[in-house]
Amino acid sequence: MKLFIKFDINTICTLYLKEKLEEQNLNFSTLGFGEIELEDNLSIEALDKLKNNLEPFGFEVVENQKSVLVQKIKDAIIELVYTDDNNNYKSSAYLADKLNHSYGYLSNVFSEVTYSSIENFIIIQKIERAKQLMIVNEMSLTEIAFLLNYSSVAHLSTQFKNTTGITPSAFLRIIKKRRENLK
Amino acid sequence: MKWIPKFNSSNYLRVIFIIAIFILLFLSSIAYKHNRDLNESSKLLMHTYEINIELERLISAIKDAETGQRGYMITRNHRFLTPYLFSRDKVNTSFIALKKLTADNPEQKKNLEKIYKLIIQRYISFENCLKYSAPETYDKRKLDNHMFGGRILMENIRFKVDEMNDIEKTFLNKSLKKYDQEISLGPILSISLFLVALIFIFLAYRKISRDLERLKIYNKKLLISSGLMAESEAIGKFSTWQWDLDTDKIDYSDNQFRLLGFLPNSFVPNKDSFINFVHPEDKDIIAASIEGIINNKELPFTYYKIILPNNEIRHFKSTGKLLVDQNGSNILLGINFDITDEHLLNIKLQERNNELEKSNKELASFNHVASHDLQEPLRKIQTFISRISEADKAVLSDSAKEYIIKVETSAKRMRVLIDDLLLFSRTNTTKKEFVKSNLNELLENAKSELAVIIDEKKGNLKVTAKLPKLEVIPYQIEQLFINLIGNSLKYSKPQTAPQITINCEEVLSNEYPEIMEQPFKKFYKITFTDNGMGFDPQFKDNIFVLFQRLHSKTDYPGTGIGLAICKKIVENHKGHIIADSEPGKGSVFTVFLPE
Amino acid sequence: MQKNALHILLADDDEDDRLFFKDAFEEVKVQTKVEFVFDGLQLMEHLMNPDTKLPDILFLDLNMPKKTGKECLIEIKKTEHLKNLIIAIYSTSSSDEDIEDTFIEGANIYIKKPSDFNALKKIINEVITLNWHYHTSGLNRDNFLLSLK
Repeated sequence: MKLFIKFDINTICTLYLKEKLEEQNLNFSTLGFGEIELEDNLSIEALDKLKNNLEPFGFEVVENQKSVLVQKIKDAIIELVYTDDNNNYKSSAYLADKLNHSYGYLSNVFSEVTYSSIENFIIIQKIERAKQLMIVNEMSLTEIAFLLNYSSVAHLSTQFKNTTGITPSAFLRIIKKRRENLK
Repeated sequence: MKWIPKFNSSNYLRVIFIIAIFILLFLSSIAYKHNRDLNESSKLLMHTYEINIELERLISAIKDAETGQRGYMITRNHRFLTPYLFSRDKVNTSFIALKKLTADNPEQKKNLEKIYKLIIQRYISFENCLKYSAPETYDKRKLDNHMFGGRILMENIRFKVDEMNDIEKTFLNKSLKKYDQEISLGPILSISLFLVALIFIFLAYRKISRDLERLKIYNKKLLISSGLMAESEAIGKFSTWQWDLDTDKIDYSDNQFRLLGFLPNSFVPNKDSFINFVHPEDKDIIAASIEGIINNKELPFTYYKIILPNNEIRHFKSTGKLLVDQNGSNILLGINFDITDEHLLNIKLQERNNELEKSNKELASFNHVASHDLQEPLRKIQTFISRISEADKAVLSDSAKEYIIKVETSAKRMRVLIDDLLLFSRTNTTKKEFVKSNLNELLENAKSELAVIIDEKKGNLKVTAKLPKLEVIPYQIEQLFINLIGNSLKYSKPQTAPQITINCEEVLSNEYPEIMEQPFKKFYKITFTDNGMGFDPQFKDNIFVLFQRLHSKTDYPGTGIGLAICKKIVENHKGHIIADSEPGKGSVFTVFLPE
Repeated sequence: MQKNALHILLADDDEDDRLFFKDAFEEVKVQTKVEFVFDGLQLMEHLMNPDTKLPDILFLDLNMPKKTGKECLIEIKKTEHLKNLIIAIYSTSSSDEDIEDTFIEGANIYIKKPSDFNALKKIINEVITLNWHYHTSGLNRDNFLLSLK
């Protein structure tokens, strides 16, 4: 038997993080996704211990301020992409508003840290969402294009092809055949 | 009603014969009865006459006695008394005879008794007359009385005899009349019955002679067809045999003997004789199929070799079918084919096929080498050239720099050629997996593949009718669209934005001579119309030929493979592609794809 | 961006290709550690060795002696501790069918060996970036398909 499970990685991670922090008896409050306010200042040993504790689960304590900002940008983008309010919010304005920095500054920091642009990241996220909608929700390209604010199916299709190197139909075919292979 | 031409007239004939035989039996029984009646009646007649004669004798005996007595009485000569004395004996003899004759008739018997009494009285009266006439006892009156009484008695006797005769006569007449009536009924009936029997027999004869005639015709036909069969067996190198599974009797056709290398009927086949001819390698197969015949009463197609007496090996194919005839006997009708020639031809064909396959493989591997393996060194040449940095170039001489550029250009051109060649060979060699695909999606994919060039040239694609969903090889159709649209973009008019219109309609093959010979009725006609520079229509067939180019490669870089690939792809889909153009106005490429 | 150097393994029998690959990675901004194996057998031996630190991305040439890249791919996907490896096919062929086939067998990335060194650098950059995004932004790796040609 095979089940396809749709999950929200944010919720899982937050839950898991809480559990780990509680294990070390730390007083904390979560400010948002990926940001934790500790009430006490930790010693270097305690901080290392926390890092080591979190590492096996893929959590990483981000020390650099710029990295923190990049993470915030990413979170904001993911939130934007996964919110289906369908308003034609311009992403640059949205990010600047949300993070209280000029878009130019955010863009520079982002490419400095990730070697890729915010726009590129948005596209990657949108295409990723499109993949998910195709596979999990079995939506048609037309529906997805509408949901993700593409001007046309062709536009989505072209962007999909440019980002992944394959067409949406080939992608769907590959994923379906992979599943058949697993059976 | 039509007489069914079958020889089932035996029933009809049987009926006729039975009827005829009954009639004849009836007739002969009538004749026998008739004969017997005749006999009876003549016996009866004899009987009557005998009685009559015997009665006459009786009368005459009495008359003799009377006459003798009178003579004696007149003459008194004893000689006259002799008849009178003998008459008594005569009377008695007649009486015994009469008694016998009338034994079966009570009435006559009674009459006879009365006569007997009368005769006794008559003799008493004779005695009295003799007594009263005798001189010693003469009494005239008593004599007269007795004489007179004798006279009356005599008359009575006469009367009685006549009565008896009459009775006999009436009885005779009655009987004769009865027989006459019976016999008179016979002749007409018997004659008519005889005629009927004759008609029946005639009918039967006619039927038989007709059947015989038909039998002759059928026999002739059978003779012809069996001759034809024998002839065709000889020509067609096949033979037939019949195996009666109930009696195990096997019959070979003449050609069967010949195919086995013998003269017709030179030996008596049985179920084991055939296996002696079979090649040792195939003996098991044939033994198994003989078993199969006995057990399953059938012989599916069997292939094997046989060895002729002159050690020649022939290839045979056999099959058989069970026939159950009207009598319920199972006859397996078998056919043997001598397929040696076909077999040898097949082997030759197989060899040729193998050769072809080999050379095809060689060609494919050559293609692989030519395109795939050549790519590797070429790619390295290009990569190494690309690694010559600007700094490196700066120290080179001008001519060296130019040479490097030339090498780069040539390598690029070679890359295009090899890529296209590879693409072309792939349209032939890759697995042809047909999938139900939405051609609109494939067109969309082609568009996104060409998005950069379309943007660059500010091209405009218009799809005026939705494309169908068809069983196609998706990559190939996508490639077809890419090549056709790419072609239109490439040969667009300078300073004019390319405008490509794609239309689709369902058509019937009989409306288009190009696709008329295809085994499909319905086609989708997809047209790609552009406003490019077009080409001279005289080249409309040439442009699909591999490496055919209408333009110099400096004006329009290309390999002349793109449209050849299109043609190949369309052919892979059992479709057809045509091109037409008006130079300076644009071209139309039409693809017909079967439904 | 990465705490440790990105660990790259290339399986390719062609010396020149390994050289291009190494040079290209040296010029990439991201800190990487590049290792090589020369054929399919060596690759499988290396991966099966419990002491081996598994690479972040495995670049796999399809056309290799002894064991082809496709055979390696199928074997890797069948091996429990290897099946989550990010695999980038690195091949000369650019046929859509080859690409789809390897994707179906479980490859994540398909790279047609470019004929330009700068293009190679660009491609490597793209692969590393996208790989990083997949690793850091909670993307579903099952849907990680990238074809570069």
